[in-house]
Amino acid sequence: MKRVLLLACATFGVPLQAQSRWEVSAGASGGHEIVRSRPDTTRERRSGLVFTGEAVATRGPFIARLRYGQGHVTADTGTPPSPRRDVVEGEALVGYKARPWLTLWVGPHARTFAVPGLSDRRWLFWSGRATARGSLFPGRVESFVELWQGFTGRLSKPVESATGGGAEAGLQVRLARHPIWARLGYRVEQGRVTGGPRETVEALTLTVGYVPLR
Amino acid sequence: MDPHHPEAHRRMTRALALLAALWLGALVAPRAASAQAAAAALAQGMRAYDDLNFDEASGLLRRALAVQGADALAPADVTRALIYLAATELLRDRRDSAVATSRRLVLLDPRFRPDELVFPPQVLTLYEAVRRATPVVTGRAPPDTTIHAGSEELAMRLYASAFHDITAKLVAEDGRAVRTLYTGPIADSLVLRWNGLDSSGTRAPPPGRYAITISSFDRQGRVARMLRVPLQLVQAFGRVDTLPHPAPPADSLLRRERQSMGPALRAFAPGALAGVAIAVLPGVVAGGEDASGGRFVVGGAVTIAGIAAALSHHPGRSIPANVAHNDTLRAAWRREVDDVTRRNAARVREAMLGIRAGTPVLLTPEGP
Repeated sequence: MKRVLLLACATFGVPLQAQSRWEVSAGASGGHEIVRSRPDTTRERRSGLVFTGEAVATRGPFIARLRYGQGHVTADTGTPPSPRRDVVEGEALVGYKARPWLTLWVGPHARTFAVPGLSDRRWLFWSGRATARGSLFPGRVESFVELWQGFTGRLSKPVESATGGGAEAGLQVRLARHPIWARLGYRVEQGRVTGGPRETVEALTLTVGYVPLR
Repeated sequence: MDPHHPEAHRRMTRALALLAALWLGALVAPRAASAQAAAAALAQGMRAYDDLNFDEASGLLRRALAVQGADALAPADVTRALIYLAATELLRDRRDSAVATSRRLVLLDPRFRPDELVFPPQVLTLYEAVRRATPVVTGRAPPDTTIHAGSEELAMRLYASAFHDITAKLVAEDGRAVRTLYTGPIADSLVLRWNGLDSSGTRAPPPGRYAITISSFDRQGRVARMLRVPLQLVQAFGRVDTLPHPAPPADSLLRRERQSMGPALRAFAPGALAGVAIAVLPGVVAGGEDASGGRFVVGGAVTIAGIAAALSHHPGRSIPANVAHNDTLRAAWRREVDDVTRRNAARVREAMLGIRAGTPVLLTPEGP
């Protein structure tokens, strides 16, 4: 219950500063996702909006990140069109700032596609990540590139072990003298089952967040 | 001696004195006779001219002028002989010879003017025309002078045959110009001055052989004649030890005056790398899938932000604070140089420079 409350607060942009040494920021984003599926020899392309909330807590070199999002995608191809799918995705990562410009992460990452009346199909990965940030305007604008690779993965339907990887890159802006930041990002990731289905997700996201002024 | 014949003794003494006088006379007589011969020829030539016997006058005057060495005519007599000879040749209808003789006289003494009471107008006119057409200067420096270099001067009066342009230079033995002393016109006379310093105006030339050359230019601007006065410079006393000029500010002390490209490139690189990453990552992460073109919106935005960040550093723009800092350093250095220059000039002024002038020599491009 406590964890749910924390996640809810983060999602709606409430700053948390339980201790002075903690730094917490939160944000909400909306993104256009394109999902390309190859369940077998066929191809499906779906797209739709997904809304995500995220919270990042930092203490010294250690950092934690939670993201939760949901939305739905509809088929762009196929006759007759396949039913709408709900998308739920999330991640819980802990990281370490190895360098001022480099953060290493580890944690679970999941995405579930739900079709009413059918069982869900969920991709779950334990992944390692690296995020590199470069300052364009110091303290104001920075670019970032994040790469991840799943250590282990599992697909729920059919039940198979899976592999996956992905990347995200973009631009993050922090307003001067305001506790607001914004991020424009592009994300692409793919889950695969050897000899089985493969699913690729692309997303263009715009995130607006809050971080307390120091 | 015979004490019994005093009269015979006196006769003997007189005879010996006369013999000695004759012997001495025999020794000096040829030289005196030669000198007298040149002077006599001049006198006879002048008389012949007065008698309008021009052929005889010409021969006598030329004979007088031909005597060289110790028996030659005195300078004043040479001048007189030349003007009489020029007049004689003109009146003999030998104008070219008269012109050549007149030119020789102008070169010998640019200040000479014929006596209007002695010579007819056509002689005066000819000589005046030759004088005006023969630009030449003469002059003589004091034979031995000692000056404080920089504060005192060597003065040398120049005399000109006619109004013309001259250039006076102090040249080293190897012909290198040490200092230009005067460039401009000369009318009748001019005092040429040299303060003992070289062209830098701060130090005296090192001791050695030099010369003052005065070039006379004709109306076409060509060097017609050159008067060369040899000089020997000696350090009279007071050795000059000048201070070295301070070195300019080292590069390590100077700040960069313009923005370098480094910060701009460092600002641009993250944007460019992220933009490239967005373009190529779909092929790496999801090879075989057709990535959407929407990613280029994000990639373009990141790249444009990188370009803006690079431009915000104004690469190549002047940095006023650093320029001012460097200007301050350079100004301080220039003040030090000026101070050393002044102190060196003062040291030079304290030293005495000895100047020994030789006999002037007149040179002409086409020969003497």
